[in-house]
Amino acid sequence: MDTFANKNWLSPRKILMRFGFLIVFAAFFLFFAAWNPVFVQGQNLLNIVEGSAILIIIALGMTLIVATGGIDLSVGIALDFGAAFAVVAMKSYGMGWFPAACVGLLGGSLVGLLNAALVVGLRISPFLATLGTFFIGSSVQRIFTHGGGPISYRQMPDGFRNIAQGNLFGIPTEVIIAAVLVVIYYLVLERSVWGRRVHAMGMQRSAAIVAGIRVNRILIACFVFASITCAVGGLIAAANIRMFTPLSGFAYLLDAIAAVFIGAALHPRGRPNVLGTLAGVLFLGMVTNGLNLMGLNFNTKDALSGIILVSALALAVAQRNMRSADGD
Amino acid sequence: MQASARHQRHRLATIVGLLPLIIFLALLLYVGLNAPNFLTVVNLKLVLTQSLTVVLSVIGLSAVVMAGGDDVVSGGIDLSIPATAVLCAGIVAVMTSAGQPVILAAGAALVASMLVGVVNAVLITRLRMAPLLATLAMFVAVVGITNVITERKRLNLNADSIAALRGDIVPGIPLGILLVAILSLLAWFFLHRSKWGLNLQAAGGSRDAAEISGIRVDRLVAQSYLLAAFMGFVTGFFMLARANGYSPGAQDNLMLEMVLATFLGAAFSPRRIVTVWGAILGAVLVAAISIGLKTIGVNVFWTDLIKGALIVIVVALSAISQRVQ
Repeated sequence: MDTFANKNWLSPRKILMRFGFLIVFAAFFLFFAAWNPVFVQGQNLLNIVEGSAILIIIALGMTLIVATGGIDLSVGIALDFGAAFAVVAMKSYGMGWFPAACVGLLGGSLVGLLNAALVVGLRISPFLATLGTFFIGSSVQRIFTHGGGPISYRQMPDGFRNIAQGNLFGIPTEVIIAAVLVVIYYLVLERSVWGRRVHAMGMQRSAAIVAGIRVNRILIACFVFASITCAVGGLIAAANIRMFTPLSGFAYLLDAIAAVFIGAALHPRGRPNVLGTLAGVLFLGMVTNGLNLMGLNFNTKDALSGIILVSALALAVAQRNMRSADGD
Repeated sequence: MQASARHQRHRLATIVGLLPLIIFLALLLYVGLNAPNFLTVVNLKLVLTQSLTVVLSVIGLSAVVMAGGDDVVSGGIDLSIPATAVLCAGIVAVMTSAGQPVILAAGAALVASMLVGVVNAVLITRLRMAPLLATLAMFVAVVGITNVITERKRLNLNADSIAALRGDIVPGIPLGILLVAILSLLAWFFLHRSKWGLNLQAAGGSRDAAEISGIRVDRLVAQSYLLAAFMGFVTGFFMLARANGYSPGAQDNLMLEMVLATFLGAAFSPRRIVTVWGAILGAVLVAAISIGLKTIGVNVFWTDLIKGALIVIVVALSAISQRVQ
């Protein structure tokens, strides 16, 4: 049997099955590099990572919720709330940067608490509950800003601005924050007992309940944890442009969902996972950056990245199917 | 004794189950009492006209949900319908402004729309991609392609036959409303009364049971996505008629309203399942509430808040009534 497996190892099907997505990733990388040598320069690669920092953070929150078996359409609202609370705390209440950042995180957690109340308390399905939160949160922002005008605060304390614009040993702080969160999420979701419980309830909720897992408690924690994570993204966004722009979080929703599902498709058992999500985000970031460097028209670029998104997802899913069909 | 307790429980469940509809009607009554011209024929026509695009899309969406099952994440859902609609509207607007006949433009739009449906069907039934994911990604791609075709410009309508959808066919009844009413009846018949529709519902209700009894589930699911794409195609023309041309960016709002109406509709139905008539009722009621709130002078920033609260209340009530039962 072993020799058989070894012989088959080099068959195109097996190669595609094992490394399909990686091959596409590499092909795109080489294509962009060939088109414009600037693409592979260290500074540009850092740009890709820096440009993806907020998306990584949002996608981590999404990974957690998808791992519980739900979905969160209100991640953008949590981002907006994080930014809004922090900016208003500094501008109107003269808080220092650190207390203001904490207020921002608290503001974001309100979104998670509302989701948890709807999903756990009222037993609404996560899709509809977070859609409701999305409507309500969008409207609250419009009411608060009298229609959606940004709240800018040019003189924000340096400490706050450094959340996005500072650096540590030459690495931008936002990249460091994102990296720390990736590590935390990896340890919690993939390496801890608690993370096992989250995956267990996501795979088979009733079995998890029978096994004595306190499903509701975990769900509440996940929603709150995810919304605080998204609020961190909001702090970075606010520090970057030194203002709060209402409804700006919505732009991350589709990409975050796509990244999580690309990541899940890369997993042997098709589960959402932190490293897969990271790969998904970096793939999306690379494509955006590469298309930018090709100097395409804005509309063409958008259409191409949409088509690439569909094809990448199809490929990732096909790869998973082949693997599970072979019982590998 | 026990029997009467159960009877009472059943009555309670029925009352709780009717609450979503009662809340809606009470809200409309409140609006009607505060704005005397709200409950007039002219305004009613306005509400119906406003809801046409949503009604057409929810017919497609409810077919998909019925075939795939109503779990939003793993069951059937087609978020790409609004994107197909703008694609169709964009192609028709661009081709007619370039002087091509409407028939030719419509043909091209039909081919493009059905292509979207075919890709959806392949991704979902062949590759087994989660429908939510597949159609969301298709939404992004199709909107991107539409933006390339139209260059994100506003294009004025250049075809009288499409504008005729707004006009009256017999005095007092606009052609558009009549056509959508006929389409709705057809959809209701095919999805709820024909053999095909019953098979479709069986497939969505329990995939395994349907397969064992010899229903070709994948084929039905694929057909439901083609139907959804076709409804997107039809929606495109009504979009053109309503805005008197193509305006970029109509897809986002339509997507939210379509999902809202379909799942509100499920809360209205006695068994809490997605039905065509429930979804259409949901679409009309949402339009009525939006217009009604505007007529009594509620700040437009609050409309989304009220819509969000309505979803939550209605869906929560339907969950509660299921538990009481």
